[in-house]
Amino acid sequence: MSKLFPTQEIGSLKKPSWLLKSVKSPDISNKEKIKARNNAALENIKALEDLGLDIVYDGEVRRVEMYEEPVRYIEGFEFAGRIRSWDNKYYNKARIIGPVNYKKNFYKNEFKFVKENTKKEIKVPVTGAYTLADWSYNEYYKSKEELVIALAKKVLRPLIKDLVKLGAKIVQIDEPAGTSHPSEMDIFRESINESVKGINAKIVVHACFSGNDYKVLAPQMSEIKVQQYTLEFANRDTWNLGSSDKARKGFQVLKLFKEHGFKGEIGIGVTDVHVNDIESPELVRDRILYASKALGDPTKIYVNPDCGLRTRTRTVAFNKIKSLVQGAELARQKLK
Amino acid sequence: MISSYTLGIYPRSEELIEATRKHTSNLSSLFQKETKGYITQQKKAKLGYVSDPLLRWDDIFRPFSQLKSVKPAALNRIYEMNTFYRKLSFENGIATSGKIIKSNLAMSLLPKNRAVCMPEPYTFADRHLSSKHKNKDEFVLELAKMLHKEAVTLVKAGFKLIQLVGPSIAYNNKIDFNLVKEGLDILTRGVKAKTILHFYFGDVSKKIDKLLDLPVSGLGFDTTTTPISAIKKHSFSGKSLTIGLVNSYTTKIENKNKSISEINQIVSKTRPREVFVSTNFDLEYIPKKFANEKILVLGEIARGVKDV
Repeated sequence: MSKLFPTQEIGSLKKPSWLLKSVKSPDISNKEKIKARNNAALENIKALEDLGLDIVYDGEVRRVEMYEEPVRYIEGFEFAGRIRSWDNKYYNKARIIGPVNYKKNFYKNEFKFVKENTKKEIKVPVTGAYTLADWSYNEYYKSKEELVIALAKKVLRPLIKDLVKLGAKIVQIDEPAGTSHPSEMDIFRESINESVKGINAKIVVHACFSGNDYKVLAPQMSEIKVQQYTLEFANRDTWNLGSSDKARKGFQVLKLFKEHGFKGEIGIGVTDVHVNDIESPELVRDRILYASKALGDPTKIYVNPDCGLRTRTRTVAFNKIKSLVQGAELARQKLK
Repeated sequence: MISSYTLGIYPRSEELIEATRKHTSNLSSLFQKETKGYITQQKKAKLGYVSDPLLRWDDIFRPFSQLKSVKPAALNRIYEMNTFYRKLSFENGIATSGKIIKSNLAMSLLPKNRAVCMPEPYTFADRHLSSKHKNKDEFVLELAKMLHKEAVTLVKAGFKLIQLVGPSIAYNNKIDFNLVKEGLDILTRGVKAKTILHFYFGDVSKKIDKLLDLPVSGLGFDTTTTPISAIKKHSFSGKSLTIGLVNSYTTKIENKNKSISEINQIVSKTRPREVFVSTNFDLEYIPKKFANEKILVLGEIARGVKDV
């Protein structure tokens, strides 16, 4: 992208309450439910465009959740029941009971709809092989590595290929589990490399909340065949203005990326998705400016929230995005 | 036959998850009913010790957020699991009456052969924050004093076995064993109950010699991370041994006969004072229907093992 600091979302937004009412109602026909989903997708696309994001999607409004949605359509999985993520937040965990296989492009309709309804650049998020494996009970494959590679080759690669055939130019592989097992970073690296083999598109990897500050990712980054990482930083940063190391302690690891020779792009998380307070445009600006300096090349910096904003109300999420867009503009002016 | 017990937090049912989410009017009675159900299941399985399933606990540390000096902080990953706990920030000296755990248990539902679970001090300090204490050592020892008060209250309330969970001892590569020992010494001093220190989320094979020196009645191992072959190399005379081989991280149900045979082999090599079989960690990592099956198989395995 020609402009500095392009802005983007990571993926999910909270679903509008009217949509949930519609899709859960037994009195509403399937045709009307499809219409409701289309309207909700349109509402999200337009909202993200109006807020000024450069790269958009539909807030993953048609997906149940990032793990359960793909698992529904992959052969070899069987849901076991809900498992706690935190507090009373649960996810529907599956077990692998046979060989995994791709059945159909489960994102085809949503992708086509987004493509038809925006002129902005599109980044389509897909859940990665490593995370799908890590969040499941492996009760079929001999090892986790075998399962991860099977998912990468037999599910992720054909899925991404199909999306690219439909016109996808940027694909984001979501890997929140990607860096959570330091001893398995080789498996993670291979899972991405196998997933994107032979694919002609810009590949982005999103990882977050690993608990180890990406120190385990840094040595692998140049070996993983992707163009951009979208990562979480704001969660660990201070809310003080300024570009000092102390104020920007959440962004220190960028220096480590540089030391390891990473030359790709970083989508920096400038918005904490776990709090309702809105980051000011000035705070966003300072985070961007610090990151540009730490990485050594402002043209490699993209700007996004730490993660999907689905845990926030829509009002909070949109205010955070608005501030993010304004902060990116302030940073551009500063560098003029 | 040997004794048996489960460890930590149990899974909420789908109904309870939904009721909690919606704060339904029957929520309290539902918690009570489900707690009672799990206790009945443990009795049906004839477990040696019965535990509260801790259904109201969002994580093993959370009851301590009720202390005045503690503020809940950010969510953090539980080691390498896809589950998160809330960090607690201790902002003042720890003032406690020692009744936090007891007041968060369904006391009236528990039988006499009751067990209870709490974090050991080193793990507690490792996973939380303190702005009050000068260094980690001081924090560990203050927490040990706090947990000692809890243990004394629990013993008075009839608990015969206290499970001290120490995943940080297993997970971290570098451990200050003197500090671990000092903390446990404070916690267990004068406590008239069995105290068993459990290790999971990491392989303790190379640490067992040092662990055998700790001032607790026994040690418990997750056999999915610490290989049985490593446990067998040590003599446990004078200590109790808990073999955590019912796996809370798979829905596959254990083969009873294979498990019995493995335990018999371990016991013949290690000669512990007393042997228990348990889950490797909290049952909350599998859904309720599988947890219930695992409780039953745990009882069957315990009954199938030769007496020590």
